[in-house]
Parts: sequence; structure tokens; C-alpha cells
Amino acid sequence: MPQMGVSVAEGTIIEWRKQRGDWVQADETICEISTDKIDTEVPSPASGRLVEVLVQVGVTVDVGTTLARIATDARPGEPHSAEDERAPAPAEPPQPQPQPQAPARGPAARRYSPVVQRIADEHGVDLAEVEGTGRDGRVQKKDVLAYVQARGGGQAREPDEPAIHIESPYRPGAGTSLSGPYLPPEGRPLSRMRQMIGEHMKRSQETAATCTTWIEVDVSRVELARKQLGITALPLIARCTIGALVEFPLLNAWLEDETHTVHEQVNLGIAVSLGEDGLIVPVVRGAQDLSPEGLSRRIRDLARRARARQLSPDDVRGATFTITNPGQFGSMMATPVIAQPQVAILDVEAIIKRPVVVTDQFGEDAIAIRPMVILGLSWDHRALDGALAARFLASVKKRVEGYEA
Amino acid sequence: MTELTYLRAISDGLRTEMRDDERVLLMGEDIGVYGGAFKVTDGFIEEFGADRVMDTPLAESGIVGTAVGAAVVGLRPVCEMQFADFVSCGFDQIVNVAGKMLYRQGLPVNVTIRLPSGGGFSGGPFHSQNPEAWFMHAPGLKVVAPSTAEDAKGLIIASIRDPNPVIYMEHKNLYRRVKGEVPEGSYETPFKARVAREGTDLVVIAYGAMVHTALDATADLDGASIMVLDLRSLVPLDEDAILRAVHQCSKVVVVDEANQTCAAGAQVSALIAERGFEDLDGPIVRVASPDVPIPFSPPLEAAVLPSVERVREACRQLLEY
Repeated sequence: MPQMGVSVAEGTIIEWRKQRGDWVQADETICEISTDKIDTEVPSPASGRLVEVLVQVGVTVDVGTTLARIATDARPGEPHSAEDERAPAPAEPPQPQPQPQAPARGPAARRYSPVVQRIADEHGVDLAEVEGTGRDGRVQKKDVLAYVQARGGGQAREPDEPAIHIESPYRPGAGTSLSGPYLPPEGRPLSRMRQMIGEHMKRSQETAATCTTWIEVDVSRVELARKQLGITALPLIARCTIGALVEFPLLNAWLEDETHTVHEQVNLGIAVSLGEDGLIVPVVRGAQDLSPEGLSRRIRDLARRARARQLSPDDVRGATFTITNPGQFGSMMATPVIAQPQVAILDVEAIIKRPVVVTDQFGEDAIAIRPMVILGLSWDHRALDGALAARFLASVKKRVEGYEA
Repeated sequence: MTELTYLRAISDGLRTEMRDDERVLLMGEDIGVYGGAFKVTDGFIEEFGADRVMDTPLAESGIVGTAVGAAVVGLRPVCEMQFADFVSCGFDQIVNVAGKMLYRQGLPVNVTIRLPSGGGFSGGPFHSQNPEAWFMHAPGLKVVAPSTAEDAKGLIIASIRDPNPVIYMEHKNLYRRVKGEVPEGSYETPFKARVAREGTDLVVIAYGAMVHTALDATADLDGASIMVLDLRSLVPLDEDAILRAVHQCSKVVVVDEANQTCAAGAQVSALIAERGFEDLDGPIVRVASPDVPIPFSPPLEAAVLPSVERVREACRQLLEY
């Protein structure tokens, strides 16, 4: 079990990518493990044949425990244990074609060369059926190839008949869906990642005094700027948020039991969805020094690596503030859960064009169509009050609405 | 492109590299004033001077030893053993000094040793040998053997530029018998094999003069499609090319002009047996000179060296297997 981060002490096998008997190349992924913070792939330390798997899926072991054994003196072409036990494949004799008379053969004919056996195996040929044109009637490579050709390609290794689509109402022998007893579906334990996320969320809700405050923001200028820069709105809103965090550092803090730490550096966590598997929050360290383009690049790289399961445990540690941005589906508002031990999290929902009241310089009101977004800030009432949360949001709003590239 | 003989191509390669790189110098018996026993270096001393085209005493160990010393201080000597057969006098300097100096002292030894080798012209036992196997067996040395004019030039340039000691086997019997189109200017031929003719039913693996014997023997053999693989480089041996050819053809004939036991072809055969077993449709067949000194007498020599007929017959038998 590798040590995937300075403080990691154990890990769980979640999948073996290679089975006993398989050849594995050095650096090829051999298994997938899960640690406290992250699921990751494990590259094989050497090339060779996997001869023994010692830790099964779902089992948790200490760092340093041997997980498997690889025979490094094996060679890729060698048959492995599974192949040894396999008898040569029996053939499906071709029905419509006349059987060729097997000519009288000497003892040499019964011996088949390695390549002839390999080809016969690949195509499901019974070598007794093949006429040999070699010395003493020996079956040569070209003989078995000619046999396969004459027989026609399609009969080699027929794929299994695909199962009838089980949702079809025309299932043979089935009655209507109302007949027969109702069988409740079988429950299964949640995936490890799902469990970890769940524990974290629960712990956060039980620890923090979570409240949420919302504010509506006009993102016209941000929309314009993002089109010019060729990036999404998120890095620009992130840049404005960082500006507001520098102005209100109490939002950029940790509360661990009694200890309250205000951070100068902004390590911005960005929540990345991993589809149905869950989500993960990689961290942009030192985000206060990055321009929107820089933030965009870093966020994109982290998201790509997150989806490819290539993050290291250090990539997901040390955030001082988190932004979550699930707005692409059109939802308006949410009550995000604070990532411990941070004291706040900002949720950016969908940008929706709406009619709003705008006041011109003469104090006249008019209706305009503007792209609007609702920013939701969940914050920990143990560390700050609603007034500060509101002022922080107002600062973000001012920066976003006054954004100039 | 110009059409040159194999010999002129070697000269052209040497001359081109000597013009491009003033560190290159030539050493050998009769190569300067006389222009070389076979005239490979004809005109060189006039162009490059006696400092760079050195006539040496008749002392192969001295020639190689001095070349090693020159290489260690940064020059790029190309030394010639007048006939490959005489290399045994310089054996210690090549195998124990040149070959091991990098390993022992961390000093690269960029020498090229030209060995005019091979028989077929009644040269007798001291002027007809193919000693490449001795040097394939010694760690630290590279060994190359061109069969065409184009490769002769490209490989000599590549050998001079290679920082390792390189044994360059130039086949005397090809000097004037083989002509080919040779690109002008400077170019390197990689230390890899070349497919001299594509084929599917059987592959003949050869190098040097035997490539031409193989091509002649299999040009028209009962309509069979026969590949000829020209190794060009013996160390490093192009294992991928060999195994690919075996995978494609499944029947192999390995030809050596050298004496059979432990010739280059023996290494090729061992490689195929170890790593190409699953692709074989018949035993690996070798055609080589028997383990005898190469005769002077013309009919005896013809009986000893692998002839077009012998190679042809070996191929025919294997095709029928």
C-alpha cells in the first residue's frame, strides 16, 4: 500500500485492474485505492506477471502492506497459468461445405508447429480437418490460413447472442407488469467515495452553526469580460471573491474546536463534480496572486485531473475558502455545506436573464433585461455574524457589478 | 545522387566526414602515400596532409593503441587493419582497452576500426576471414556491416560520429562488384536492419556479401514470396526487425559467410528460438561456411563459402517442410 500523502496511514483497495496471471508493465495502473481524502490509481512498480493478489477489494490495510506479488523474470509472450489449463479449442465444423478427405499421413503430420497451433486456436479450427501440404502431409501455416479463408471468416468466435432488451414488453412468456409478486429491489452499500462525502457533510452540519445568506448580482460586465477573455464566468467571480476575502479576512479562516486561524494566503477550493460518483474539492493555492486567466487555467487543470482521478492528496488539502458552482443546470439558489474547518462557502448558481429595475443618472427608473445570478454564502455563526456575511457579499457584488478587465 | 561502387562510397564517406570534422584522422598501413591497399584512400594525403592520413608501421596493436590514445584526448581516429584477418594482432587493444575504457575509467573511446573482410577471390586463409563474431562477443564494442554502396557511406559516417568504438566490416568482394545510387553530401545510416526485399513465405537473414547471395538465390524460387533482411548492424542487433520478419514469414534461413560455430547467425538463431518460438512454422535453418580455414584453391573455396545454390536449396527444403 503506497503512502499517498504525508499524513496518510492506510488505504483501501477499491478495484484490481489486473488479475492473477496477467502481464503488467511498469507504471501501468495495477489497482485503484481509496485513502482518507482521495481515490487514486496505483502504478505498478515493475514489469512482470501478477502471480498473487494478497489484499482483496474492500479491505483496508496499513501503508507498507504488501498488496500483490509480481514475477519480474517472466516474459510477456509466455503462456500464463490460465492458458496452461486451457485445452485447444474445439471447432464448429462447417456444415454446408463438403468435408475434405484427410490424406494418409506419416507420424510427422500429427505434430503442429507453434504458429499453426496459434492460428488454429484463434480461429477455432480443428487441425484434424486441415489438409497438410508440407513434408509427409504436415500442416503448414499457409494450409491452416487457407482453411480459415475457405471456410469464411464469420464463424470464428461468434459473439454471444445479445440478451433480449429486458425492458421490452415483448418478453417471451411474460405476462403484464401487474401480474406476479412485487419484488423490492436489493439494497447495496454506498460507494466508499459516497460514504466519505456523506460523513464529511454530516460532520460539518453537526459542528458548525451553519446559516446561509443570499444576494443578487448583475453580471453583465462579467459576461462581457469573460467573452473577451475566452473563459467562463467562474474565474472572474472567483477573482472578485478573492478581492472581497482580502478586504474581509475573517471569512478566510479556519475554526478548529476552539482555535480560530485567520489566513493571509487564499487557498481557494473549487468543487468539481465527478458525476454520479460524487464530488471532490481541489485547491488553487495562493489564489490571491492569480489573475482571472491564471485562475481559469489552474481551475481547468485541476478539474481535468480530478475527473481523470489524477489528483494527489496534497491537491485537496489546505483550502481556506471554497466556491461551488453547480449553476449549469439552471438552479437558482442553494444552501451549501461548509467544508470543515473553513468558516464559509460561496455558492454560484445559474446566470439567468431577468427583467430588473435600473435607475438612470437622473433618478428615473426603467426596466432592463440583465443577466443575474444569486450568490449564496453559507457561514459559521460560531466564527462570525450575519452582518459581516452580508457586508462580505455586498463587497463581492460591488466588485462583480463594477468589473473592469 | 551519384552511382558509386561500394569502395568509392566508403572513400566518399571518409572524405566527407574528414572535410566536415577536423578531428577525424586516418591511420593504417599503406593508406597515405600508396593510397591504400585497395585504393580506398587514394588522393587523401594530398588533400588532408600527412598529419591526418598517417602511414603506420606494420603493427596492429600499435595502430589501435595509438588510435585509442588519440580518441581519449578528443580526436576521432579511423584506423584500418589492412586485412580483417590481421586484427588478431590488435585484439587486446580493441577488446580490453578500447572496449572497456568507458566502463573502467569513464573515458569514451571514439575510434572506428575498418576491417576489409570476406573472401571469394582466392585470397586464402589469411586474407578471406570474417571475424565479426569475435567482436560481437566483447562488451563495449559496436559492429556494423554494410552490403550496399549507399549503406557503406552512411554507416562509415555514422560509425565515426558514434562515440563508442565501432568495428566497420567492409566486404572486399563487394568493393567493385556492387554499385549503387549514393546520396551526395553527408548523411548517416542508422544502426538498424533493412528489408532488402519484402516477402511472406520465408525470410533469409543475412549481412554483408551474403545479402547479395540471398537475393540471387531467392529471386525466382518456385514462385515463393521470400523476404531478405539485411542486418547492417550486428551490435546492436535489430531484434525488433528480426522478430517482426519471423512473425510475418514463420520460416527462417540465416546465412553467414563466416565459420558456422558462434557466428553472428548463431546469435540471431538463439534470439528467434527464445523470443519468436510462437511464430515458427519450421526449424531455424542456418547456412554458413564449415569450421575450416578458407581455402585458396578456387574449387575448394567455392565449396566452402555459402553459394547461391546452397542457399537456394536450403530455402526450397524449408518451404516444403
